[in-house]
Amino acid sequence: MMTTYIQVEFARHFRDGYNLVFALLLPAAMYILFGNIPSYGQSELGGGNVKFYLMISMAAYGAAVSTVSIAGTVATETMQGWGRQIALTRMSPTTFVASKMIVAATVAAISAAVVFVLGAATGAVVLDSWIWSVSYLITLLGAMIFACYGIGMGMILKSESALGLASGLMVFFAFFGNVFMPLEGAMLDVARFTPMFGYVALARYPMLADIPAGEPMSSDPLWMIATNLVVWAMIFAVFAVLATRRAKARQ
Amino acid sequence: METIIGANAISLSAVEKTFTSGKSTVQAVRGINLQIEQGQIVALLGPNGAGKTTTIDMMLGLISPSSGSIRVLGNSPHQAISSGNVSAVLQTGGLLRDLTVRETIKVIAAMQECTERIDSVMERTSLNKIAKRKVGKCSGGEQQRIKFALALLPDPDVLILDEPTAGMDVMARREFWQTMQSEATAGRTIIFATHYLEEAQNFAQRTVLMSQGQIVADGATEELRHLISGRVVSASFTTESQADQARNFDDSVFITERQGLRYTFQCANSDQFTLALLQHFGARDIEISSPSLEDAFIQLTKVAS
Repeated sequence: MMTTYIQVEFARHFRDGYNLVFALLLPAAMYILFGNIPSYGQSELGGGNVKFYLMISMAAYGAAVSTVSIAGTVATETMQGWGRQIALTRMSPTTFVASKMIVAATVAAISAAVVFVLGAATGAVVLDSWIWSVSYLITLLGAMIFACYGIGMGMILKSESALGLASGLMVFFAFFGNVFMPLEGAMLDVARFTPMFGYVALARYPMLADIPAGEPMSSDPLWMIATNLVVWAMIFAVFAVLATRRAKARQ
Repeated sequence: METIIGANAISLSAVEKTFTSGKSTVQAVRGINLQIEQGQIVALLGPNGAGKTTTIDMMLGLISPSSGSIRVLGNSPHQAISSGNVSAVLQTGGLLRDLTVRETIKVIAAMQECTERIDSVMERTSLNKIAKRKVGKCSGGEQQRIKFALALLPDPDVLILDEPTAGMDVMARREFWQTMQSEATAGRTIIFATHYLEEAQNFAQRTVLMSQGQIVADGATEELRHLISGRVVSASFTTESQADQARNFDDSVFITERQGLRYTFQCANSDQFTLALLQHFGARDIEISSPSLEDAFIQLTKVAS
């Protein structure tokens, strides 16, 4: 019963177009824009080059935004009564949410893959080839913590178009999370507490791990990155539960 | 699932539901006892805010009662739904605007594990013509028909409809009940909420009248009409004194309306009274009618409040 639902979901999202621009095309376009500035693109950085670094950044942004926009529809659809309709079928609410997560993960995977393929084609380089696959996997799995954020925002905002706000906020998270451009000084200190910081830092960790601490662009210690990721995952999970309860009580 | 013939399709005992939001509490359902046998067609009739939708949502397990117990086909509402023996047409929402009609049916059919019934259900609810249309572009009546089709997919033993004709025009309503008639096959229990008296009168064998969260009357739809005892008799007289004499025919007779020399009486024994009117009181242009369900409705909800 899941496969039919997932098929129709894909058909829907591809027809919509609007979501896809943000999920698939924007990260790819940003990579091409920032990654091909000749002054630094080919410069070496850690175990690879700057292009590789930017490729991970944009792929992570794309994967997280895709997850938010699709997971958010769980909430808006529930609020529009589709959840009640599904509650009247044999399919359990868990299967419903699981189907959505599969769709979200697939779109996130495609989004990140588009950027990775573009990277490979335009000269993103890393010394150890295993870093390609590990970075990609971290990008994909880490993006899933933003599913809870998407569900929570959807429950609070209720309408499909307002979900754009949730995706829009992701741009801020990305900027202040050290995703789009390397931050320094006080900005970087603040960035360490924002939700996308741990996620993108972990995805970059394999390529940056060998830069000695204290050098420019060196990675933060793994425990710091992991703490950020785990704490934000928990905050989003609690947020999703609270928002869902509040929305259900008002229904 | 095995069910015993003649057993209760739905049984509610001492069901109450209170909604709390902030400081205000609303008692939507105040103690309902209701047994519905298998194969019955029952109307839940009542004005807006009577607690019909809350009662139906509890039968479907969408909300749980504050107290009391609900059994559907001998099981909990949740079990009954997941067995596929119960389905429903909900009053509000329930459709995704950007799916096509056929996609909607396909998705729910997959969830109900009955994809083989898609074509026949779409045929029976005349959705084939608009199969490729987006749900958001369908009229209110068409959307109701889609929801009805979704409810028919699992071939349910118990079909529950919450104001199924809300938002339909007269033609669409008539067509809907025609389709409904052919779906009311032997053994299928149908429960529908409505505030159209006409729908209860035309379609339900039994009517449960709700007002302010309580059942104020429950019986065969015909009987309910007799709850206001007797008949209404209208007649014209040539003099006022004839009408006065007629009024004193027996204790049950009284005048409900008067326009010039045309009087409307209510009486217990309309046959005897009419005979007397013709033979002794010089009455003309006699009309006899049963009080409508609307009259019963107004009177009973007045009593309850």
